[in-house]
Amino acid sequence: MPLHDATYKHWTGVHLGLWRRRLAIAMNGLTACLENKLIRHLTVVCWTVAIIMSAVLFMVGQLLVADSLIVQWVENLNPELQTFARMLTSWLEQHPEISVRTTQNVHFYYCSIYMLPVSIFALGMAMPLLVTRDLASNAIIIYSSKAVSRGDYLFGKFSTACGLIILTWLGPVCAAWFVGNLLAPDWRFFWHSRAALGHVLVYGLSSMGILAVLALGISAISSKEKSTIAFWFIWWILGGVLTPIATQTKPWLRHLSFSFNLDQIALAVFRVGDDIKIAQDNIPILGDMLRQISSKTMEGLSTPAIGGALVALAVMLVVAACIVVTRVKPE
Amino acid sequence: MEMPPSLIIETKSLCKIFGKQRALDGVNLQVPPGAIGLLGPNGAGKSTFMKCLLQLQPISSGSAKLLGREVGREGREIRKRVGYTPEQDCHIPGMVGCEYVTYCAQLCGLPFQVARQRAHEMLDFVGMGQERYRKIDTYSTGMKQRLKLAQAIVHDPEIVFLDEPTNGLDPKGQAQILELVQSLWRTFGITVVVSSHLLHDVDRICEQIIIIARGRVLVHDSLENLKARKRGAAEVVVADRHEELRLACERRQWACELLPNGHLKVEHKATSLNPLISLLHDLKLAPLEIIPSPNALEETFVQALEISHATA
Repeated sequence: MPLHDATYKHWTGVHLGLWRRRLAIAMNGLTACLENKLIRHLTVVCWTVAIIMSAVLFMVGQLLVADSLIVQWVENLNPELQTFARMLTSWLEQHPEISVRTTQNVHFYYCSIYMLPVSIFALGMAMPLLVTRDLASNAIIIYSSKAVSRGDYLFGKFSTACGLIILTWLGPVCAAWFVGNLLAPDWRFFWHSRAALGHVLVYGLSSMGILAVLALGISAISSKEKSTIAFWFIWWILGGVLTPIATQTKPWLRHLSFSFNLDQIALAVFRVGDDIKIAQDNIPILGDMLRQISSKTMEGLSTPAIGGALVALAVMLVVAACIVVTRVKPE
Repeated sequence: MEMPPSLIIETKSLCKIFGKQRALDGVNLQVPPGAIGLLGPNGAGKSTFMKCLLQLQPISSGSAKLLGREVGREGREIRKRVGYTPEQDCHIPGMVGCEYVTYCAQLCGLPFQVARQRAHEMLDFVGMGQERYRKIDTYSTGMKQRLKLAQAIVHDPEIVFLDEPTNGLDPKGQAQILELVQSLWRTFGITVVVSSHLLHDVDRICEQIIIIARGRVLVHDSLENLKARKRGAAEVVVADRHEELRLACERRQWACELLPNGHLKVEHKATSLNPLISLLHDLKLAPLEIIPSPNALEETFVQALEISHATA
C-alpha cells in the first residue's frame, strides 16, 4: 500500500496573525534556552532571590505595626531595642514618603544592579540559541521561506533575549516589589513605592532592549557556538576588569564596557545619590550608617557619566545592528 | 474562497545579477498549475530562479508573479501559500523531528494544536515512523529529505518548490520520494516545481518541462509535446525471442539495438506506435512493456544545451 494513502488532508482553517507567528519564534527560542540546565538553575536562583527580597520588604513593612510579631521579636531579643523600635515605628508612620520611597528605591537599585550580571551570564549561555545555530545550520532559509520576514525573525529572536532577561532579572525584581508591597501592612505602601517601581521599569526595560540587541549582534558575529559565547564573556569580563583601571588613567575607556554604561544609566534613573542624602539627613540609625559612605563614592553615585554612557551604548547598538543586518540573510 | 490563478508563475524579463555574472537573464515564463520540472546543468540558474520567486534573493530587474501576486510586494502572503525544500540541510539543530515540523507550521500561521496534528499527519504521509521523536541531528540523509518535504507541505500550500529532492538518496529512497511528490499533484492538486539535473526524476513525475541554461529559458513545453517531437522510437521489453524481433525489425528497415538492460530500442519512424504493435501482433509476441520516445527528454535537453552553447 502506498504510504500516502488517506494521510494527506487539505487544511481550510484561518491563518493566525503576524504577531502570533513572531510569538511562536520567541517562545521556541525561550523553550530552547530553558532546555539548558544552567539557565534553568539560574532562573530558579533569581526567583529565590525574589522571594528573599519580598521577605525583606515584608519585614520592613512590619516595623510600621507596633504590635507586629517582628517588633515583638526585636523587643524580646533585646529589651533595650524596645525604645529604638518604638521610635523607628513612630518615625516611619510620620514620614512614610521618605521611609518607604527612599528605602525601596535604594533597595531596588541594589537589587537591579546585583541581579543584572546573572541575566548577562544567562544571555551568554543562550548566545548560540539566538542566531548562531541558525546561521550554522542554514535554518535562516527555512524561516525566510515561511510566512515571516527577516524582520519578523529578528523580532522573534529579540523577544527571546528579552524573555530570558525578564525571567532572570526584571520579572523577579518586579515580582518582589509587588509581593513585598502586597504583604505590607498598609495599602499606601504601593503608592509610596511607585517611584521605585517606575525606576525599575525604566531602567529594566531600557537595559533589556539594549542587552537584547547587543546579544543578537554578538550571536550573529559567528556561526561557531563557542566563538559567540567566548566573545560575549570576554567582552563582559574585560569591561569589568578595565573599568577600575580606566577610572585612574583614561576614564573614557570605561565606556567600552556595556555593563559600566548600564550602571551609569541605573544611577541616572534611580538617582540613588539623592536618596542616600535624604536618608543620611532624615532616617535615624540608618542615616548614621549611610554617613560612613566616603565622599568619593557619594560623588560617583550622584554624578553618573550618563552622556558618555549613552553615546557609547548608541555606538554599540549601531554596530550590533549592522552585524545582524549583514549576517542574517537567507543566502 | 480565493480562486486559484490560471497561471501559477508569471515572469517578465526577470534578471538576477551577482556582481558581473547574470544568474538569470531576462526570464519570461507563463506557467499553469501542474507538475513542473525545472531542468538544467549545475549552475544554470534553477535554484536562483526558485529563490527569486520565494524572495530569498532580491530580483535585480524585471517582474515576477507567483500565485497571481506580485513577488516583492506581497512576500509574506505568497509564502503563506508556498512550500519550499532547499537543496542543502537547513533544519534547526537540537530540535526533534515532529517539533520541527510543528514549528514550521506555526511559522506559516497555523494554531499550535492544528500545527501539531498536521505535523504528525505529514510525517505519516512522508513515511516517518518513531524516528520523528528523535533529534534531527541524528537523522540519515533519507530521513532529512523526508522531513524537508514534510515541513514544506505541513501548511497545505498551493505550490511546492523542491530543489534537488532526491539528492543523496539510494534508489529505493529516490523512488519513494518521487512517488510522494508525484502524488502531490496527481492526487492532491498541489502544484510541484521540481528542480533537478536528473532527467530521469523529472521525466518520471513532471508534466511540464522548463529547461534553463546560462540563466535563460531554453525550452518550456509539456512533456507530451516534447516527446511528440521525438516520436519514431520506442523501447520494447520482451521476456524472450529478442533475436526474432530484431530480425523482423531489420526486415522492415527499422534500426534496432539490444540495450544492456535487455530492452530493444526500435526506431520505427512513425508518429504512433501502431506499426510496432502490428509487428508484435504478427510475431505473436506479447511485450512486457513498450516505452515510447524513451530518450526524448534527454535528447531535447542535450540539443537545447548545444544550441545555447553555440549562440553564447
